[in-house]
Amino acid sequence: MPKRTDITSILLIGSGPIVIGQACEFDYSGNQAVKALREEGYRVILVNPNPATVMTTPGTADVIYMDPLEVPYIEDIIRRERPDAVLATMGGQTALNLAMDLEAAGVFARHGVEVIGASIDSIRLAEDRGEFKKLVSRLGLESPRSALVTSLSEALSVKAEFGLPLIIRPSYTLGGKGGSIAYTEDEAVTAIEHALAESPVHTALIEESLIGWQEFELEVMRDAADNAVVVCSIENIDPMGVHTGDSITVAPVQTLSDREYQRMRTAAIEILRGVGVDCGGSNVQFAYNPADGRMIVIEMNPRVSRSSALASKATGFPIARASARLAVGYTLDEVINDITGKTVSSFEPALDYAAVKVPRFELEKFPEGYASLGTQMKSVGESLALGRTFGEALNKAIRAAEYGFDGLEALSPDTDGQTLWEMVQSLHPRRIFAVYTLLRRAASEGTDAVARTAERIAAESGYDPWFLYEFGELAVLENQLAGGDPAGELLLEAKQAGFTDGRIARLTGLAPKEIAASLDAAGIRPSYHFVDTCAGEFEADTPYFYSSWGEADEGTPVGTDGVLIVGSGPNRIGQGLEFDTCCTLSSMAYRNLGRKTVMVNSNPETVSTDFNVSDRLYIEPLTAEDVIHVMRKEQVSDVVVQLGGQTPLNMAEALEAAGARIVGTSVDSIQDAEDREKFSALIRRLGLRQPENRMAGTADDVRAAAEEVGYPVLLRPSFVLGGRSMTIAYTVAELNRFLSEAPVLSPERPILVDRFLEDAFEYDVDAVADGTNVYVGGIMQHIEAAGVHSGDSACVFPPFKSDRAVETEMVAATAAIAREIGVSGFLNIQYAVQDGLLYVLEVNPRASRTVPFLSKASGVDLVAAAVGIWTGRDLRAQGLVAPDGDGIGVGACVTGWAVKEAMFSFDRFTGHDPLLGPEMRSTGEAIGIGVDFGEAFAKATMATGARLPHEGRVFVAVNDHDKETILPVVRDLIELGFSVAATRGTAAVLFEHGILAEVVLKVHEGHPNVIDHIRSGRIDMLINTPMGRFTRSDDGYLRVEALRHRIPYTTTTSAARAAVEAIRHLKRGETVARPLP
Amino acid sequence: MDTRDDSFGTPAALVLADGTVFRGTSFGAPPREVGALTKSLAAGTAADSLTHLGEVVFNTAMSGYAEVLTDPSYTGQIVAMTYPHVGNYGIDERWSESGPEAGRTRRVKVAGLVIRRLYHGPVRPGRVRLADYLAENGVPGISGVDTRALTLHLRTHGAQNAAICAAPDSAEMPDVSDATGRAVYAGLAAELSRFPAMEGRGLIGEVGTTTSVEIEPAPDGGTGSGPSIRTGGPHIALYDCGAKANIVRELQALGCRLSVVPSTATAAELRATGADAVMLSNGPGDPAVLAHQVEQTRELLGTLPVLGICLGHQIIAEAAGGRTSKMKFGHHGVNHPVRDEITRRVFVTSQNHGFTVEEESLPPGMRVWFRNANDGSVEGLRDDGRRIRSTQFHPESAPGPTDSRWIFREFLAAIPGFEDVADPDDAATEGGQ
Repeated sequence: MPKRTDITSILLIGSGPIVIGQACEFDYSGNQAVKALREEGYRVILVNPNPATVMTTPGTADVIYMDPLEVPYIEDIIRRERPDAVLATMGGQTALNLAMDLEAAGVFARHGVEVIGASIDSIRLAEDRGEFKKLVSRLGLESPRSALVTSLSEALSVKAEFGLPLIIRPSYTLGGKGGSIAYTEDEAVTAIEHALAESPVHTALIEESLIGWQEFELEVMRDAADNAVVVCSIENIDPMGVHTGDSITVAPVQTLSDREYQRMRTAAIEILRGVGVDCGGSNVQFAYNPADGRMIVIEMNPRVSRSSALASKATGFPIARASARLAVGYTLDEVINDITGKTVSSFEPALDYAAVKVPRFELEKFPEGYASLGTQMKSVGESLALGRTFGEALNKAIRAAEYGFDGLEALSPDTDGQTLWEMVQSLHPRRIFAVYTLLRRAASEGTDAVARTAERIAAESGYDPWFLYEFGELAVLENQLAGGDPAGELLLEAKQAGFTDGRIARLTGLAPKEIAASLDAAGIRPSYHFVDTCAGEFEADTPYFYSSWGEADEGTPVGTDGVLIVGSGPNRIGQGLEFDTCCTLSSMAYRNLGRKTVMVNSNPETVSTDFNVSDRLYIEPLTAEDVIHVMRKEQVSDVVVQLGGQTPLNMAEALEAAGARIVGTSVDSIQDAEDREKFSALIRRLGLRQPENRMAGTADDVRAAAEEVGYPVLLRPSFVLGGRSMTIAYTVAELNRFLSEAPVLSPERPILVDRFLEDAFEYDVDAVADGTNVYVGGIMQHIEAAGVHSGDSACVFPPFKSDRAVETEMVAATAAIAREIGVSGFLNIQYAVQDGLLYVLEVNPRASRTVPFLSKASGVDLVAAAVGIWTGRDLRAQGLVAPDGDGIGVGACVTGWAVKEAMFSFDRFTGHDPLLGPEMRSTGEAIGIGVDFGEAFAKATMATGARLPHEGRVFVAVNDHDKETILPVVRDLIELGFSVAATRGTAAVLFEHGILAEVVLKVHEGHPNVIDHIRSGRIDMLINTPMGRFTRSDDGYLRVEALRHRIPYTTTTSAARAAVEAIRHLKRGETVARPLP
Repeated sequence: MDTRDDSFGTPAALVLADGTVFRGTSFGAPPREVGALTKSLAAGTAADSLTHLGEVVFNTAMSGYAEVLTDPSYTGQIVAMTYPHVGNYGIDERWSESGPEAGRTRRVKVAGLVIRRLYHGPVRPGRVRLADYLAENGVPGISGVDTRALTLHLRTHGAQNAAICAAPDSAEMPDVSDATGRAVYAGLAAELSRFPAMEGRGLIGEVGTTTSVEIEPAPDGGTGSGPSIRTGGPHIALYDCGAKANIVRELQALGCRLSVVPSTATAAELRATGADAVMLSNGPGDPAVLAHQVEQTRELLGTLPVLGICLGHQIIAEAAGGRTSKMKFGHHGVNHPVRDEITRRVFVTSQNHGFTVEEESLPPGMRVWFRNANDGSVEGLRDDGRRIRSTQFHPESAPGPTDSRWIFREFLAAIPGFEDVADPDDAATEGGQ
């Protein structure tokens, strides 16, 4: 069928800020959809309040809105833009839920808007577990035994029937949020209460446990003519029990016979047909018991998903792009396969490689949340690697996850056998390493021992013997390598198994350089293969590559004119979508200027790994070794390292040593900026000011340094991103606690001890410089008080409360630093202002997290400006710096006011205190745009899902320090009609100042206490600043409880003040959507 | 328990007629030493060999190696699987696709198996490991081959004869990069290029039943394709040129009684079964040399409903006056899109053919029913007047998607008295019309 001509404009709903379970995969899919629909001639209106995205870059869609994904704003957009249709299947669960809300509110009917992609009915059918279960049964398929409950007592009678363990999930949440496994009576009660609270419809599903069964996922596409294909089959290495987002997975399915697989495939297609998905992609998950052949349908999502992004990268089949075309009426056989350019999309990709995905956890940041994995997703990112064999792909994917493993490696020899076996039986995030350690130890006793160990592991973990055999082969190979000088064949085998030179060196006791030399001498080289969707049957048009070793190499080099862009790797806290957007935009900018680009990245969720973003795409781990091989293969020397966060910077020196010409700021300058001593000298030279600081390599030195600079002190390890392991110590006791937990402390890796500037205002500045001229994109003021990590603090552009003179000083300081370092490209500086004095806190000679936000709010694409510099057009030529004058340009906000608010995923980590501090914990960000600060802040807050109250009761409990500064905030709230409750101490202070507050008991003071009030819904907002602002205080339970009950809370007075402005705006009752200029 | 023999894991090579050599290691039956193989080819003693050498083709299915190994249509061919891991789930004898071959013993039909990586670990109870299975059946395999390079080579230069061989004295296989190494292989390559090419090679004498066999309906047919729609279906004469077991299972499941007749039978003998229709099976080799079968089919066309799959489809085309020709490397896999030219529906199909029907040669009345959505080639024919139906692809799948199983009902509906077999409601649940 040809495309529909009865619709001309389409509203596409994005997925909003990034949270665990909903990450940049929806920027990727939404971006593909927008492009495809515009190519088809439709006018596309986009709404997504996530400023980090590529899709919200001006020019991507015809009109871009960054308003909250809430019914009133969407209705206002529909009223303004009059779209004929809305596409909600590209924005994850958020967009689907919003579509259902819009339908329920009658918005679609009122404005005559059609829902395309998946109808409201099919969304409802797939999402309503009860209805879905009925459908599964009608199709002659099996669901887990389950029951929907709306109360605890109902749930307990179900538990009596099914027995333990049980799976408990709330209805209508994303990524299995709020779901868990209960093994004991107590766990069951807690889990059920939690699930009921999480569910927007106060309904939970209780299921029989399928723990230990094999788990599979199929990505299916179906069109309006009832043609259906399975694009990709995925097998989880971790059996049922671990959320698929937290499992290591492999595509295609490895362990099913053709009969078993075809049965699953047919079932998946029948489910799409039954649900009524007839113009797009969906995924269907299955559990399978190989012992008796029972196949259980777990769930289906009638939309693109994280796994469809993975499947697209793993197969080369662009699911979202094709889905968008199907949504406007095309059939699969009318959509050309972009990779081959000549075959059609009504086929099923054939792989001649294995594609392995490895999740990345933040164990260090949320240690308590990772005791055990479960049905609720906890990983923050993932890496993908392709290899000609599973073992090769697995080793590559693990090292690509960048969490300290060079592949599937044995754990420390100190780990005793009992601990390892306990890990094997648990759902520990490092279980696979425990499994491998046992096999590796067995390998030294011979292959029979490996087989016996594998058998026992299979019995105790549920891992399929096939995986264990492959792990065992790797262990045997490692054993063969150990201690020897490997000859040609063995060396080739090691490289084909995905071992790095460094790992082979460690095993053999040789130096990595010697390994590289042996490889060269033996003529063993990496070979690159096309990802061609058809296992070589047809010629591929699109150069999308992965590496293997010692095979026939494919593709011709792009040549010396090319430029290689090192991506940012898997999402992690502190390095996420923002950096991918910078990489993507740079590739586009270079290509606009006629340069050929080579993208290297390992994150399958991203836009940068869409094969048509760059001239060449390599899915490879981001290690120096892997990137150097790509450089050689493509014969490029220009390498961009400024855009992908810390990952590319860390390898810059090695790349340069291998012959790369690092684009922009030199490696030496980068190192000078990151070297604290050299940097301090530079600051002194320029007559600027830093907080008093010391470097200390031993615990005693740290204590001495703290005394010297004076408490409170900010403590941070050198060379880290996202403030990992950063802390603020107010007392010696707190300092000692930090030292007892500090990860690495040595004279080579010292700790920085800074005087902490309490009650300072902090600012972020992003600039681009060409060596002479400097363009300051903008100055952003943090809303949270100093000490909160810049990634976690809300910020406002332009600064809300600061004096012009200080801003001028910041611009001048930025220019001076940029010139002194010799920045060519990006520079990010964090400043603090305390008592009118300007301090330089931190300088990063690279693109920062705020670059995409600032680019959108200022209307200047800073990445394009940097690429302009790198291709020979200085800032004057680009018109960003006036032709005459001081060589400094400054950007202005084009949207009135713009607020960036941090988005957290604390609800994933039960019991985690959401207190903000110097260590970054946010997973995403939202933007709010308004004509005044209040509107911008209100929108930004709303976009993170927080519900600021219009009226009601505010609970105030502040530390002594804040008791003065909170007064005007409380007065304003009373003026806005709120009543006030407070702890005894705070209430007394308020009373002294003529404010009456209801006294509420603390938890230890008896009942009814503040928790009781929260639970009974008598508190609508919480202002709670902890005692000793960044100490790990005892009032964390308050914030945990507020989080659980979705009550807005602020932990700083400055944020409370901003909230008041926002509430003032909300009370005006204006809902105005504002397109990006 | 390890049944690997001495040759397991020893150096081996796949030598192509054009002189290209792919090195790997042996599994399954021991390969023959390169010199000995060359000599026996030169002497003509290997002239009719169905193992160790044959036309090498690549198959892009990612599962289903057991069905591929036992599919009679692969007789005379070495199969290279493009998916690197093979053997992952072992082999169950019940998955065999060899039909009711009374009088034959050759269970594995491929001449050799070429793979990138072998799984040799434990398999589920009731299954055997791939290497053991091939060894028991006297068929050599070679693993560790750069199957991607082989596939690209065949895509560029076309399918051709090849042999799996071992090094002299089980030493390293000689390297092709030096002259002495090349010389070792050159002789074998020369002999392979003299060995009968698939084009012009008749192979159906090697497969299919040698005597007539009667098969009763079986409601479940063992196919897992759902309940039988009725008993008392039509009586089908299966003209067995190497029928896949799943064709038999599927017809049984649809309530058909089958008379499986050898491919040497005449039209009169087929008619004498009293069947309501004749099904021409799949099978190996070049259809253009099957003068006898084409002639018998020509006699039958118009007198009885005739249904054909794969080789059967090609025979029907030739019998109707059309021509077939050799494809460069054919279609071997389970992901080929085929469009129904009547309904415009598209199906993902299981395919295994190296020859194709030339559309321009088709006589009037014979319309193209299915067409390959990628290359436009003829994938099925239909003549409603003479009650002829055929498909180039495999609606019985095995391996591959079952989406086009409905075609069997569609076939049966061409038989007078059984028109209502293709109940549209039933068909719809199978993704049919």
